[in-house]
Amino acid sequence: MSTARDFDCQVTYVEQVLPGVVKVAFDCSGISSSAAPGQFVQIEPSADVFPVTRRPITINRLTGSGFELLFDVVGRGTELMARMQPGDIARVLGPLGSGWKIPLQSNCLLIGGGLGAAGFQFLIDSVDSARVLIGASGLERVIPFGACHVVTEDGSVGEKGLVTSLVTEKYLAEADVIAVCGPVAMMEAVWGVIPEKYRGKVQISTESRMGCGWGVCDGCSIPMLEGGYRKCCTEGPVFYGTEIDWKRWKEAGL
Amino acid sequence: MSFPPSVSRNFWGRDFDSPIMLASGTSGFGEELLDLQCLAGVGAVVTKAVSFQPRAGNPPPRLLETPFGLLNSIGLANPGVHHVLKHILPVAAGLPCPLLINVAGESVEEFADVVRVLEKSSAHIGYEINVSCPNVADGGAAFGVDPEVVLQVSRGVSRVTNRPFSVKLTPNGGDMVLSAKAAVKGGASAVTVCNTFLGMHMDWKTGKSVIKRKVAGYTSPALLPLVVARVWQVANAVSVPVISSGGVSTGEDVLQLLAAGATMVQVGTRLMRRPFAAAELMDEMKKLAGE
Repeated sequence: MSTARDFDCQVTYVEQVLPGVVKVAFDCSGISSSAAPGQFVQIEPSADVFPVTRRPITINRLTGSGFELLFDVVGRGTELMARMQPGDIARVLGPLGSGWKIPLQSNCLLIGGGLGAAGFQFLIDSVDSARVLIGASGLERVIPFGACHVVTEDGSVGEKGLVTSLVTEKYLAEADVIAVCGPVAMMEAVWGVIPEKYRGKVQISTESRMGCGWGVCDGCSIPMLEGGYRKCCTEGPVFYGTEIDWKRWKEAGL
Repeated sequence: MSFPPSVSRNFWGRDFDSPIMLASGTSGFGEELLDLQCLAGVGAVVTKAVSFQPRAGNPPPRLLETPFGLLNSIGLANPGVHHVLKHILPVAAGLPCPLLINVAGESVEEFADVVRVLEKSSAHIGYEINVSCPNVADGGAAFGVDPEVVLQVSRGVSRVTNRPFSVKLTPNGGDMVLSAKAAVKGGASAVTVCNTFLGMHMDWKTGKSVIKRKVAGYTSPALLPLVVARVWQVANAVSVPVISSGGVSTGEDVLQLLAAGATMVQVGTRLMRRPFAAAELMDEMKKLAGE
């Protein structure tokens, strides 16, 4: 049974964290009191009829009485959201989706690609210990976390390289849960360097163009290895890496 | 008919407090709605399409939002009629409002085959026969574009059920008035006008359609005048109720469609923005009536 409800939420702060990357926080105890790491909300970027769908954004972290979103401004919907001001009211449906499957007292290995690491803060705040590995194209795409290992493709932060170069057998062995989030190509590369014996604990946070966000329109399908598809919005967005049909997913070109 | 139109409707011999139906494909099989409790203001629910065999649906991306609308290419994904009968309809039977089952087919016979299986359930009051899907067995054009084929489909369905059914026509080719007349001749108790419009989004850098099946179904609030015109044309040509489908985002839109001759009004894409759209539309209409 979903705990999602539709709320009118007041914007509490808006902050540009990187060029074209914005944090918007909302006051909403209805969502923050029941949200779990990895869940998302469906937000109306505007009160106008257009755009005709909401925007699904992962909860970056909880605040005192609400939640914070951190997102890339990539189109009209997110542009409208970036223009929100403290005091504005937006309609938000949430919390939605399954979230990360994290056992009690777990040690997490988090592997993030660029803005895919948005949402990691909520997970870090919820587990006993977290080791965070971040790969990004450059300085302007690295979300600041407390303690994490960072590599960039241009060498502007940390070593020059890809996030796969940070993944060691020791880290994989020590983790109870391996959480991966980023562009599909990055996640596939990470999946590729993880030996078979650790793959069972790898969880992948997927992303898809969404219609409803609550399971009715069947628009956000993720290809599954068993054949067919599962819904990113209600059956995901987090799936085990072993469940995903990586080949068909990559072909989708999302 | 009196104007402005009343929101209380009589459809298929039943009284409805609301003219609003949730359009096929935008509310699952209704059981998710129980979860979110967003059935206030809903007159009836139309399920997503049910085919005889399970259908996995189309490869992603299945949706693409454009500046003023939404392209969808879901591919009639559904678990097949036997699964629906056994596992979904017993849950959907708990809905507090009437249910219509939308039926898809790849051949003239499949529609009747699906309905025959569904006759074992008492969860629904009737059917909506989706003749917008491609006639795979005969070249792939939509059944709905050829009145002769619509007649065959409609006749086939009326032979296997005594429940009322609506034939959901297509605006993409053919003459909707002729297809509507053929549906009624074949035994349809309503027609649904007018489903999605064929649309496409080209990636101009590669020359490829972003949607893998190339063309998709387009919906938009901007299509309202196209739907109003088609509802008006069909309602003036047939004696059975017309269910409108498409273009609704405000209570005033619903009133326009009722005034154009629709007996019931489906809401679809608006639910993507507002799961509780039916209640909001009813409130808006009540306010307009009070002015």
